[in-house]
Amino acid sequence: MVDELEMLKKDWQKQEGNLPKYTKEELYPMLLKKSSSVVKWILFISIIEFSFWIVLNFVLDHRDANIAFEEKAGINTIDKILLIVNYIALAYFVICFYLNYRSIKATDSAKELMKNILKARGTVKLYIWFNVSFIFIGSLLVFGVAYYNDPETFNIASPLVLIVVLFLLLGLFIGVLLLIYRLIYGRLTKRLKANYDQLKKLEL
Amino acid sequence: MDKTVEDNFVTLLEENQNIVHKICRLYTNNRDQHNDLFQEITIQLWRAFPKFRGDSKFSTWMYRVGLNTAITLYRKSKRTVQTQDFDSVMFRISSQEYDDTVEQQLKLMYSAVKELNDIDKALVFLYLEDKNYSEISETLGISEVNARVKMNRVKKKLKKILNP
Repeated sequence: MVDELEMLKKDWQKQEGNLPKYTKEELYPMLLKKSSSVVKWILFISIIEFSFWIVLNFVLDHRDANIAFEEKAGINTIDKILLIVNYIALAYFVICFYLNYRSIKATDSAKELMKNILKARGTVKLYIWFNVSFIFIGSLLVFGVAYYNDPETFNIASPLVLIVVLFLLLGLFIGVLLLIYRLIYGRLTKRLKANYDQLKKLEL
Repeated sequence: MDKTVEDNFVTLLEENQNIVHKICRLYTNNRDQHNDLFQEITIQLWRAFPKFRGDSKFSTWMYRVGLNTAITLYRKSKRTVQTQDFDSVMFRISSQEYDDTVEQQLKLMYSAVKELNDIDKALVFLYLEDKNYSEISETLGISEVNARVKMNRVKKKLKKILNP
């Protein structure tokens, strides 16, 4: 086998003449083209992700119906607290996210590079889980406070029905969200994760 | 960007482009993908170039960025058609130099290498490029001992593919 590999090595080194050759004139325009790297895609999708939540928050919070509902249900305070917590978390994640991406360098060793990309991806993942949990707990809190203040707010006979409907809606929303994330990021990082695991396995 | 820096980079790239082409041949299956990967590696090299201090050889640095791009950063473009048209001419072996058996064996070896996973391919590539274990370990980020162990495993894997 070693002999066969040696034979392969000799042949491999002979292929130089058969390789394509670009001229300088062909190489210059290549420097101006846009990258389509995994990092760029993860970065791009993550920015959309962050913007989506900011816009959603803003829109929901400034609708007249929402403002009227908040006043009627007496959830102004809890809503403000949740909003502040959300923005602090958002700022924290944006900073982490930026620092992570700055640490990704194509000149690192393969393992280090993969580790940094997966770490960056991990921050986004954490952000997603934060959001999902935040929506879940936040909604329960808001509905709980609203119901406590005035049980008539929801116009539903039994609190049990309200809880069931609430859980169903939240479950559906979170389910769809997780499915989308899985499809988008799962595809982007599948090969990367497999390769990283390969290298990591060696260190054991 | 400074014009001299750009000229300098393109000159170095032109001189050492074989390294990139060889990586592309190993990691892609047709001409379109080859060109796509070459383009992506060029972008990554150009981006990283300001940090290239010249304390290592340009070619050594190219191996690292090139392999990183092929294994980790590159996303195969959808528009490229999945064909094997490039494969047949890929590792052209001059028939005057070998008898049929050797040629056949080499063809088998090359297709076996193409079947390896990304990391194993990188190992074999660096081996074929006559890199020592210290360089292999540095490029992949594993210890020298592990590089040796891994290389032995890859040899066994190749053997298994060749003699099922």
